[in-house]
Amino acid sequence: MKPFLLISVCFFILSCGSYPKKNNFKLAEHAGNIVNPYFANPNQDYVYKANIEVYNHYFGGIFIVKKIDDQQHRVVFTTEMGNKLLDFSFNEDDFKVNYILDELDKKILINILKNDFKILISEQLSSKETYILNNETINQTSINNKIYYYFENPEIYKIARVKHGKEKVRFLFTEINDNIAQQIDIIHLNIKLKIALKFLN
Amino acid sequence: MFLATQAQTKMTDIEASNLKKQVKALASTTKTISSDFVQYKHLDFLDNAIETSGKLAFKAPNLVKWEYTKPFKYAVFFKNNMLYINDEGKKSNIDIGSSKMFSQLNTLIVSNINGDMFDESKFMIHYFKTSKDRLVHFSPKDENFAKYIKTFHITFDEKGDVIEVKMIEPSDDYTRIVFNNKVLNQPIDEAVFIN
Repeated sequence: MKPFLLISVCFFILSCGSYPKKNNFKLAEHAGNIVNPYFANPNQDYVYKANIEVYNHYFGGIFIVKKIDDQQHRVVFTTEMGNKLLDFSFNEDDFKVNYILDELDKKILINILKNDFKILISEQLSSKETYILNNETINQTSINNKIYYYFENPEIYKIARVKHGKEKVRFLFTEINDNIAQQIDIIHLNIKLKIALKFLN
Repeated sequence: MFLATQAQTKMTDIEASNLKKQVKALASTTKTISSDFVQYKHLDFLDNAIETSGKLAFKAPNLVKWEYTKPFKYAVFFKNNMLYINDEGKKSNIDIGSSKMFSQLNTLIVSNINGDMFDESKFMIHYFKTSKDRLVHFSPKDENFAKYIKTFHITFDEKGDVIEVKMIEPSDDYTRIVFNNKVLNQPIDEAVFIN
């Protein structure tokens, strides 16, 4: 038992190595603010086709985001046929469920989606540490007591939620055009959940 | 948002009864329907409605397929209490018996098409006319159904054919579907309803 325990402890300590160190990030001059522009324009209706894979179940829908006021966003998910599945309001640190289909009304699911959507819409964040890796800048911040790393090259192309040195959720932004990410992928690494969003208008 | 609508007045009992007869007579001779459609999803906080469009195929007694082609490819059809989906090539199916919303929507769509919707035991029904069309408001009496759709409005042309459906949610957000290029009783291949 004892050698096994020792190996386990060593492994645990190694696996808890800091995320920046494991990824060879170099500490850089502190950047100050992180600005996420992807859902920040109040004159834009953000409408995406969504494909969701959860524990090998697959379903689609329309994902809609609107900035309705400074620090206020509405996030709605409907079926392709227009039936509303959920309707959330974010107002600074307040969160409200305006509507959710009975079948989806599960606290754990609402919390996961709330945390994911909060990252998408959070615009101004203060960086706690700034790192560089090759030509990229990586800023660390915390949202709702969770640690996130923002990767910029020079636009934000990835956000990673990190716990114990490991990525738990990865947000990928691609085909960025005029502050709109045409493709957004939210990949959960600790549960089998993937959300792919493709911009429609 | 204010929408310009034509002035509408209530139908007389005779007008309402004539409409019902006309719709049922047309439905009884309708074996297939092919139609283009444009769907407008209106959410009060958006600047513009979300517009999607495609083709509808109906085969009596109860096969209905919605095929969206713009701005994405997505097809869904109801058959034997199952919902078959083809989402840009990814195929799946849902037992609609397990989803109240889908099963009630399917019933609604089928009864819209086959003229079976004038059921006073299920809906509060109000009849209106404009200078051009006839409009009927249906409010579900079933509380579960009313959670998804507060009222739906169906517009009929002079032949008693459905030209527009508007489904209004309890929040007053709505989905409006407008039918164009409708063709009745042209053969539709069974293969349309195989996923």
